Amino acid sequence: MVDDEVQALAERAIDVARSAGASYADARYLAEDSESIDVENGRVEGVSRGSDAGIGVRVLVDGAWGFAGTALLGKQEVERVANLAVEIARSSRPLLRTAVRLADEPPVEAFWETPVDEDPFTVSLDEKIDLLLKASAELQSVQGLTIAQTSMDFWRRHSFLATSEGARVEQVVVQSGAGIVALAVGDREVQQRSFPNSFRGHFACKGYEHIRSLDLTGNAARIAEEAVALHRARECPSGLTTIVLDPTQLCLQVHESVGHPLELDRVLGMEAAYAGTSFVRPDDRGKLHYGSDQITVTCDSTLPGALGSYGYDDEGVPSRREVLIENGVFRRFLSSRETAPVIGEARSNGTMRADGWGVIPLIRMPNINLEPGTSSLEEMIGTTDDGIYMTTNLSWSIDDKRTNFQFGTEIAWEIKKGKLGKMLRNPNYAGKTVDFWSSCDALGGKDEWKVYGTPNCGKGQPPQVARVAHGTSPGRFRNVQVGVRG
Amino acid sequence: MASKVVGGNGPIDEHSMSLLGADRFEEAARIGLGDGVDGALVLAFHSAGGLTRFASSQIHQNTWRETVSIAVMAVVDGNRIGVAAGSSLEPDAVRATLDAAKSIARVTPANPDFPGIAGPATYPDAKVWDDATAATTPAERADGVGRALDEFPANIEGAGFIETTANEVFIAGSTGLRAYATSTQAGCSVMAIAENSSGFAESVERKLSSLDVPALAERAVRKAELGRDPADIEPGAYTVILEPAATSTLLQFLAYLGFGAKAFLEGRSFMAGKIGQKIMDEKVSIMDDPIAPDALGLPFDFEGTPSSRVVLVDSGVARDVVWDRTTAKKAGRESTGHGLPPPNTMGPLPLNLRMEPGDRSLEQLVASTERGLLVTRFHYANVVSEKETVLTGMTRDGTFAIEDGKVAHGVKNLRFTQNAVEALSNVEGVGDTTETSTELFFGGSRAPAIKVRDFKFSSSTTH
Repeated sequence: MVDDEVQALAERAIDVARSAGASYADARYLAEDSESIDVENGRVEGVSRGSDAGIGVRVLVDGAWGFAGTALLGKQEVERVANLAVEIARSSRPLLRTAVRLADEPPVEAFWETPVDEDPFTVSLDEKIDLLLKASAELQSVQGLTIAQTSMDFWRRHSFLATSEGARVEQVVVQSGAGIVALAVGDREVQQRSFPNSFRGHFACKGYEHIRSLDLTGNAARIAEEAVALHRARECPSGLTTIVLDPTQLCLQVHESVGHPLELDRVLGMEAAYAGTSFVRPDDRGKLHYGSDQITVTCDSTLPGALGSYGYDDEGVPSRREVLIENGVFRRFLSSRETAPVIGEARSNGTMRADGWGVIPLIRMPNINLEPGTSSLEEMIGTTDDGIYMTTNLSWSIDDKRTNFQFGTEIAWEIKKGKLGKMLRNPNYAGKTVDFWSSCDALGGKDEWKVYGTPNCGKGQPPQVARVAHGTSPGRFRNVQVGVRG
Repeated sequence: MASKVVGGNGPIDEHSMSLLGADRFEEAARIGLGDGVDGALVLAFHSAGGLTRFASSQIHQNTWRETVSIAVMAVVDGNRIGVAAGSSLEPDAVRATLDAAKSIARVTPANPDFPGIAGPATYPDAKVWDDATAATTPAERADGVGRALDEFPANIEGAGFIETTANEVFIAGSTGLRAYATSTQAGCSVMAIAENSSGFAESVERKLSSLDVPALAERAVRKAELGRDPADIEPGAYTVILEPAATSTLLQFLAYLGFGAKAFLEGRSFMAGKIGQKIMDEKVSIMDDPIAPDALGLPFDFEGTPSSRVVLVDSGVARDVVWDRTTAKKAGRESTGHGLPPPNTMGPLPLNLRMEPGDRSLEQLVASTERGLLVTRFHYANVVSEKETVLTGMTRDGTFAIEDGKVAHGVKNLRFTQNAVEALSNVEGVGDTTETSTELFFGGSRAPAIKVRDFKFSSSTTH
């Protein structure tokens, strides 16, 4: 539990802000511990631990936002930043067109923490390093491999939110992840294979038990062999074809072409100058056919163990599961207390998160999931006469309205007459969001549905990084452009 | 909760950061350098600043923060390394950070590549501090936004930000190394959003007073007006004129992919095996120069090595990459002062990249183009093939058809999929002025406009 001193600082910040003229104020204390270990070619490249703590004060004055945060935790400093937040809000007032109105939210007093079997911060460094060195040795055992990278990351985030409406929410979120990467450097190309996923591996809101479940060493030789073999593989052909994507690619497709375009702050133009806006409009609710009837997407911040799970968002709104796209029809955005009323919604659906004490919360994906279908990977491949099976994201890009995308994966195999054929190198595919999701004719079932964390989602100014997740099963898409060349 | 840090030198100013000063850092460093270790490096930052964002022609996010961080790298048994970081300079907290670093070092296998801690050095003079920028008030940033929006007609909306920051960085080594620098920075980005077009302009400087905010707004608005009712356009290979922001995207990705010594030594860099060879057009010269008068860099890197100017590509010929202490030791040469904070697994990177200007104005580049495209900036670029330097990304905020030597009309945005080194081999002209631009995933670089033939666009959009 946070100590009395922290609670007193947060309460004091709210009192000072209210006295200075704020109609609403919240104070969010956050202390985060982190640990990161990197091994390359059997050598420990870096082991680091970090701790960061501070408090941020967010206020509304005459309908305008102000925010100030400080790492200098003391009564005098907290009073200063509370007053500064009010002054900042007042400076915004002359250039305010529409006063902010917050959606109602019953204030809660709550404590929530990630269920953890084995606290990753109590597992010895010796043990962690030993596992990464063993995995590195397995990667290096494959002839032709140039670079073997293994890594682990852990975070423990302890936060306390107090609002002038009376909410008092304390949370402890623990996140763990690890991964291995095999790189084969050739004269012209570098080929890469990752396990369990790219972006430093597989991340979850779990303890060290998650790391123990990954079997990094058992998969090392296989991915190293694949990285080497890719240099001998045929280039992915160009043209229109059927593609089957596994969850290590489909998760990022959901992220970029469903998650981001449904963030209501983007839709309302609040991120226009930086990350962009969205092709989806408020009046598309219930009307826009976002994809085929195979496509049902949920936002679920309650999903046990998923990297984007929490008890309450940074506005004190409880986590929940909601349907965003239902059998292809768009239903709902990701919202906040500020944005929900703008489109006539009564309540926020609880997706506001900040990546630290020194920044304001933004609408961030928690776990955005493509719900499973009824097919299977075996059936999808078995019923495909000619196509390509792609796995593990390597490259991603999408336009500022989230329509035109192009993704590359680490590896692919041709599908010929219902069977997986030869390995293909440099696979990529491109398309338009609605066309692509409309081309989905099959999704794998529940037993093939996997949740992968995306630990590097960027948004906002100053830039913030969110740790989010996506559950998907394998999916099949028809008439997709593949093999885009530069 | 974490231990507390209060203070600085004297009372804390209402708006601006009070500098902690080298002496305050030295107090913390004396603890951080500690005993029970063979060596230690302390790297500390203190930063404060405000960022005022606007969208839909109103201020919608208005923030300020003050951060402190201290990292301690402890060395035991000669080359066992541990790094720990905290957010407090109070003695107990620094002691805890040192203890954490030591405990990590003791269980970490020896690193034979460890180059040791840099010794004392003399640093180049860098005038990178501006009192007025450090003391900028929220009202002054809001006033800047107001002056930007004054340039907007009623049918065009504005979005963007004005940011001012003040920073201190301090490095101490058990070798006697001491480095301390202060810096300020001011940035402004303006996007103009019309019914079916948009425009963009940005500027990053050391001083807020150096930003010409109305001029940036006027430029963004002009682009949005010029781009109204954009025409459909087929993807394909076009002669393009990339404005400085678009040129910077190519440079930033090349920096990430291959201008650092780690990728170079691993053979992953497009520069590997090419030193002394012509790899780009002779009109292209690229360097990293943290201490140029108009650069935003520091007089030293994060290992305490003096910053230096490194020519990467000279008149199209590959000359060198940038080095830190670890890669320099491996290659038997000296660091060029491009080390990142420990623990660094990326190797050195050029953070203050610049491309030399040429002798053509933007107008001349356009006038010399019978048929082509003018690109304001790129969006969400990413790597398709790292060693081949194939990138993909979108155009954004002002893409125009050039017809008969004139900017004719706006066109809808296009996706490029293009080899960046090849693009810089196809340069037909280089602009005579440079601008500092930021890239979505990176820092800033200074570049001119360039005219490039056969630039490949792989698909189109509906906006």
